[in-house]
Parts: sequence; C-alpha cells; structure tokens
Amino acid sequence: MVINIKGSVSSETKNEMANENIIIETKDLNFYYTPDKAALIDVNIQIPEKKVTAFIGPSGCGKSTLLRNFNRMNDLIPDIKVEGEILIEGQNIYDPSVRLEDLRKKVGMVFQKSNPFPMSIWENVAFGPKVNGESNISNLEEIVEASLVQADLWREVKDRLTDSALDLSGGQQQRLCIARALANKPDIILMDEPASALDPISTGKIEETIDELRGKYTVVIVTHNMQQAARVSDYTAFMMVGELVEFNDTNTLFTKPDKELTEEYITGRFG
Amino acid sequence: MKQSYKDYFQKGDPYVLLTSLGLLLTFAMVVMLLAIILVKGLGIFWPEDLVKTELKNKKVYLGEFWADEKNISKDEAGTVTITKKEQYKIGNRDIYGLDFVWLKSDDVVSRLKPENATQFERWEYGNMYGTIKKVHVGDETISDSDAIMFQKANDALDKVDVMKDELKELQTELTDLLSPLNSIRREISLIKINKGYYSDLEKEQLAKLEQFEIDTAAKLKSEHERIQERINKTTERIESIYLIVETVDGAEKELQLSKVVSFFQPNKMNVIDKSIHYAARVWEFVAGEPRESNTEGGVFPAIFGTVMMVILMSIFVVPFGVMAAIYLNEYATQGPITRMIRLSVNNLAGVPSIVYGIFGLGFFIYIVGGSIDQLFFSDKLPEPTIGTGGILWASLTLALLTLPVVVVATEEGILAVPRANKEGALALGSTKWQMIRKIVLPNAMPGILTGLILAISRGAGEVAPLMITGVVKLAPAMPLDGTFPFFHLDRKFMHLGFHIYDVGFQSPNVEAAKPMVYSTALLLIILVVLLNLLAIFLRNRLRKKYKSSSF
Ligand SMILES: Nc1ncnc2c1ncn2[C@@H]1O[C@H](COP(=O)(O)OP(=O)(O)OP(=O)(O)O)[C@@H](O)[C@H]1O
Ligand SMILES: [Mg+2]
Repeated sequence: MVINIKGSVSSETKNEMANENIIIETKDLNFYYTPDKAALIDVNIQIPEKKVTAFIGPSGCGKSTLLRNFNRMNDLIPDIKVEGEILIEGQNIYDPSVRLEDLRKKVGMVFQKSNPFPMSIWENVAFGPKVNGESNISNLEEIVEASLVQADLWREVKDRLTDSALDLSGGQQQRLCIARALANKPDIILMDEPASALDPISTGKIEETIDELRGKYTVVIVTHNMQQAARVSDYTAFMMVGELVEFNDTNTLFTKPDKELTEEYITGRFG
Repeated sequence: MKQSYKDYFQKGDPYVLLTSLGLLLTFAMVVMLLAIILVKGLGIFWPEDLVKTELKNKKVYLGEFWADEKNISKDEAGTVTITKKEQYKIGNRDIYGLDFVWLKSDDVVSRLKPENATQFERWEYGNMYGTIKKVHVGDETISDSDAIMFQKANDALDKVDVMKDELKELQTELTDLLSPLNSIRREISLIKINKGYYSDLEKEQLAKLEQFEIDTAAKLKSEHERIQERINKTTERIESIYLIVETVDGAEKELQLSKVVSFFQPNKMNVIDKSIHYAARVWEFVAGEPRESNTEGGVFPAIFGTVMMVILMSIFVVPFGVMAAIYLNEYATQGPITRMIRLSVNNLAGVPSIVYGIFGLGFFIYIVGGSIDQLFFSDKLPEPTIGTGGILWASLTLALLTLPVVVVATEEGILAVPRANKEGALALGSTKWQMIRKIVLPNAMPGILTGLILAISRGAGEVAPLMITGVVKLAPAMPLDGTFPFFHLDRKFMHLGFHIYDVGFQSPNVEAAKPMVYSTALLLIILVVLLNLLAIFLRNRLRKKYKSSSF
C-alpha cells in the first residue's frame, strides 16, 4: 500500500492566516543529517507572529529537526546539509550577513531536558544579556526580575536568587530555562517538548506560562501530547516522515482535519 | 564431588580470594615502604647515648651504638661458630680517618655511659666525641667541673655565633664598598680580553680607566682599611675562643667554637631534654643549609628548589595543557588527525623521562638558551649566561614531560561537561569562546586540577631529566632571593630527589650519609603529599560549587 502523505496547505487555513503576520517562513526546506537520507522533505510552512504554534507527529518525523533549524542549532552537527530557505522576519537566516549570535538572541530556545547552568539562579537568568553585552547591574537586575515574573517563577525564588539553580525542582528548573530565554527579549521562543520530563502539576504550570506568553511572543512548541497541543496552541502542524502533512488553526485541525492521515493520527489509530 | 569442584570455580570464590590477596599485597607494600622510611628517616634525629667501650686489648672507643650483626659460619668439621659484631659511630674523622668502627662482641670488656661524654656537631669533619677539658675565652682559661665548663662553653658558643654574624655583615659592607672598583676592573679586562693589539681609541680608553681605577682605589682606601681592620679584629676574637677536648683515648684536641654547630651531653639528658633536642635537629634538617658535601646539616635549599620547580612547572604546564585540550575538543574537527594527535599525546606519557631530559638539554638549553645568549649576552660568550642548566629550563622540561597528563585529564573534564549546558549557552546567543569560558572551563576545572595533581606527583619525583637540565649537588644561591630581580630563573638549583641520589650514592662517606637518605626520602614524600593535598583541597572546593551539574 502506498500512502501519499504529500501535504498542501488547505484553503481554509489560507483564509485564517490571511489575517496573520508571518514571522517564520520556510521555502522548500530540505534537510539532511546524512547525505543519503533527508530528515525534512520540501517543508513549506508559515508561522504566524505572536501566536502559539504546535508541531505534532510520530516520533522521528522531524519535529525537533525543523524546530532546531529556526535558530540554527543544527549547525553544531557536522556534515549536515540544508536546501531551501528559512526566512525570519523576511530575512534568510542562512545569509552570510546574519550573525549567528544575533539570530539566537532573537530566537530563544527551551530544551526538552531542563539545562540550568551550575550557577546561581540570578546568574542563570542574567547569562543571556551578559553574553550579549549588557553589563549595567541595575539593568540586569531589572531584566532578571521581569523575566522571572513572566516565567511565573519570581514568587518562588525571589528570596533565594543567589542559591544554585541546581537546587530547584525539575519544574522550577524548566521555568527558569524559560525565564533565561525571555531575558534576551527574543521575538520567538522555540520549545522542544518542554514538559515531557515533568509531573502533571509542573506541566500545568508550564502550560500556564506559555498561555501568558501568547500575544507577546511567537511560541513554537513541539509536543507529543495532543491534548497539550489542543490546549495551548493557536495553530498546529502535523508532520510525518520528514514532511509537513497538514497545518491549520488548532481547532480546525483537531475537529475537521483535511487529511485522512491526520485524522488517523489524532484519533490514535497509529503513531 | 566433581560437580561441586566446578561450582566452586564458577561461583568465583577463588577469584575473590585472589583479588583480595592482590590488594593485601599492594597495601602491605605501601605500609612497609612508609614504615621503613618513617622509622629510618625519623630515628636519626634522636640523640643516642654515647657508649664508652673497652676492649680486651685495652683499646677504648666512645661513640653512638649504630648496628649489630651476627655471622654464622661452619667450618669443614661441621662446627658452627657464631660471631657477633657491633658497630659504633665514633666520629673524630680528622683523628681516626673513619667515622665508624666494628667491634667483635667477644672482645668488648665493658660498655659504659660516662655522664660527661659530649657530642660536638661540627661544620666540618662530622661529629666529635669527647669530654670538655678546658674552655678558653680570650685570655681567660676555665678549668672547672664539667657542668660549669659545659655552661661556659655554651655561652661562648652563643657569643661566637653573634660575632660570626657581625663578620658576615662586615664582609658584605666591604664588597659593597669595593663594587665600583670591581666594575672598573671588569671594564678594563673586557678591553684587554683576547687581545695583543689595541687601537688608539682603546689605548686612550684604557689609560683613562686605569687612572680612574687608581683614583677610586685611593678614595676608598681609608674606609677600606677601617673595615678590614674591624674584620681582622673580629676574626681574632673569634679565634681566641676555643675548647680543649679530651678524646676517649686521652689525647687533647683544640676545638675552635667557630667550627661547632652545637654540642650536647646525651647521657645526662632525660626524655624531655632529648625530645626538645630532637625537635631542634628536625628543624635544622628542614630549615638548615647542608654541610659536609650534603651528608650533614639541612636540606632547605633542596626543599625550596623542589617546591619552586614544581610551581614553575605547574605555571607552564597547566595553561598549555588546557589550551591544547580545549582546541582538541572544542575547535578541531574530529577526525583522523585529531585521533592521531590524541594518540601521540597519550604515548608521550610513556616516553622515558631521561629522553625528555635530553630534549630539554638539546632544545631548551642549547637552542633556545644559546640563541638568547647570542642575541643579548654576546659580550660574555663563550661563557654562557642563560644557555646552561637552570631552574627555568628544568621546569620547562618537566612541564613538557607532564603535559600529556594535563591534556588527558583536562579532556576528560571537558567531556564531562553536559552537552545540554553547552547547547544552552549557545542557544542564548553566546559565542563559542564565551561558552567555553563560562560553561566549559569552570565545569572542567576539577578535571584540570586532577591533571595538575597528577603532574605534580609525577614532576616532583623526577630526577633523571633534572640532572641534565639544571640540578646541582650544591647551589651557591637560591633561585629566589632578596637581590634584584628576585627571581633568578637562570640559576641552578637543588632538588630533594637528586639530593637522595647524590647523598646516598655519590658521597665520600656513604655510611654516615645513609640516615640522611631516608630522612630526605621521607621529606620528599611529605612534600609531594602536601602539594597534592593543596590541589585536592582546591578541587573539592570547586566540586562543591559545581555539584550535581549533570541535572
Ligand atoms: N544528530 C542526528 N544525526 C543523525 N540523524 C539524526 C540526528 N538527529 C535526528 N536524526 C534523525 O532525524 C530524524 C528526525 O529526528 P527528530 O529528532 O527531528 O524527530 P522528532 O520528530 O523530534 O522525534 P521525537 O518526537 O522522538 O523527538 C530521525 O529519523 C532521527 O533519527
Ligand atoms: Mg524531538
């Protein structure tokens, strides 16, 4: 049996999106870890600004790969190959004039496993601004507090900012990582399964935090949890075997999916 | 039966036994090594009683009991004869020629411990054993009870020590006074050197300088004479203070107190006195200067040289090793070339240390040092200024020798830094160098310090490469002192490891030097342990700071 999973953006989405500003756009993006096998195949996606967009799909379909292309984290892996274009705010991020550090400052990232640095809570949040040239202490103080407030962590840590970040609980550590990303005042925040290693209560808190970021930042989140995608995202992309199958506003994708494959996946018939 | 035998081996009990035996053996060896060195190394400082032995043939000896020996021999008839011998250290090398004597136990008629037996430790010729007969201080001659004379002699010794210090000061004063004159003379000899012919200009210069020399000498004459006068007087006064010591066989010997380090009467001393004396001698050993071609006195210059060499080595090796490891792990593209470099670095650790010594001699001393001499000190050639063995070259050689250890340990430290943390830093927009400096280096610090610890352990104990790059038996001056520029990295230096070799195997008086070998070995062990403890302490503090950094 041959399944044609080649996707195209549905007419309905086009209408929805017509009202949105597009901040990330890929054009015929092909990505290879090894020359003989593409991890992303002809991906064309337009991610709207200041909205939460979720990537779903079976394991190994390339969600993380696509996400990590947006801040060029994949550049760390030797021998990769990228074809096509990725435009962020209209600028091709592979253009030689783009400074990698500036791109990553603009496009923050939160990883699946929380990765606080072995430093104090304060130092963790101030890390980004510091490496990007901010040295004024009062400015830093301000940024740290604002970021922790936005990440919903300030109340819990305001009296122990000099404690080691490693003494925080798993959920707090992940929110610290969100605060750390926010401290750079990014336009976009990429999150790769940010709650998959956490208990339900911590997961709930992270979701609340994401909810508060809506409207202020563009959030792109990879998740395995379809309920989570349905809860937090405005738009959802369904991927399979390196291809973008369907991309639509979350409501439509979960209630009236365009593609049979999408329906099969969200109803749990495979995956 | 057969089954259970097989079971026995399959369960692995014999192997448990075997491995535990191995551990036991290792442990026993370590304990034994330490015990031997501790006992022999610390025993020497205890003031032993002086024994007066009288032999059947009326010969008498006075000295410290040293060792005994039992010889069992069998003649052709099968009769077994046991001969017992005992050894005494009788000192008085200037009289007897030898410090030690072996006596057949059967020949000894009596062994006494005379109260007034006195042991003199001298600056030269080792110990003297005898009794105080008279004390001469200037024109005064004291001949009284032993206790009083001992007291008087002690006072006189203090006086002599003060006068010796004065003499030293006067001599430096004199050198300082004459230094302008000496520099003129040096200039003159510089013109005259290797020359049979002078240009007119040189002739003129020479005449000027010679006139200048005469003038300066005249100007300094009165002051010179005044100081010389005082020197002569002090010397005379020092020489007028001496003891008449009677050796055990009745001969009387004049003993200048200026030649005496210290003296004491062990047979009169109780345990507390002896303990105090013991502590003083240990202190002298650790803090004093060596005497008698290193077989007596202290080893302070060697301790100092060892520590300074190790510190210099660390200063060279750590930055280099860390930089190499960082480049290898963070910047270089991993592939056959990095693999090859890693392999060679690892194998460098196995190169015999003498090979490094040869390299240090050939490269650092002859090529680097020689070139510096050509460039900056060519007026002094063929006499080398820096192109000869010295603490700088020795430290560099050892730094090279310990480089692999540091590189490997640092690499391990770097590899232990979680990738998530490195990616996290990069994702926040830090440059690669910022990431290395703020995340990799601090987290790899325990690994770096482990490398340092291993380097110190290896470097402090090396002797062979040092012997050809700058260690000497007796260094005239320390590599760090109060004269400008304070650090004299070109100077030769002393080292505990070499000291052990030199004292134990190169000294003219091996028997007398034996205890010194053990105590120096003990000191070397203590020093290495201390240096290591320092590094371990640092590492643990850092570890605490970065505890459980893995998530
Ligand atoms: N560093 C890498 N080198 C080579 N192949 C890789 C690498 N990372 C991922 N891949 C491959 O690329 C494909 C996509 O992987 P990716 O991690 O993007 O999947 P994913 O959708 O995020 O899966 P999951 O839900 O399990 O995280 C997979 O087949 C994976 O094996
Ligand atoms: Mg993934």
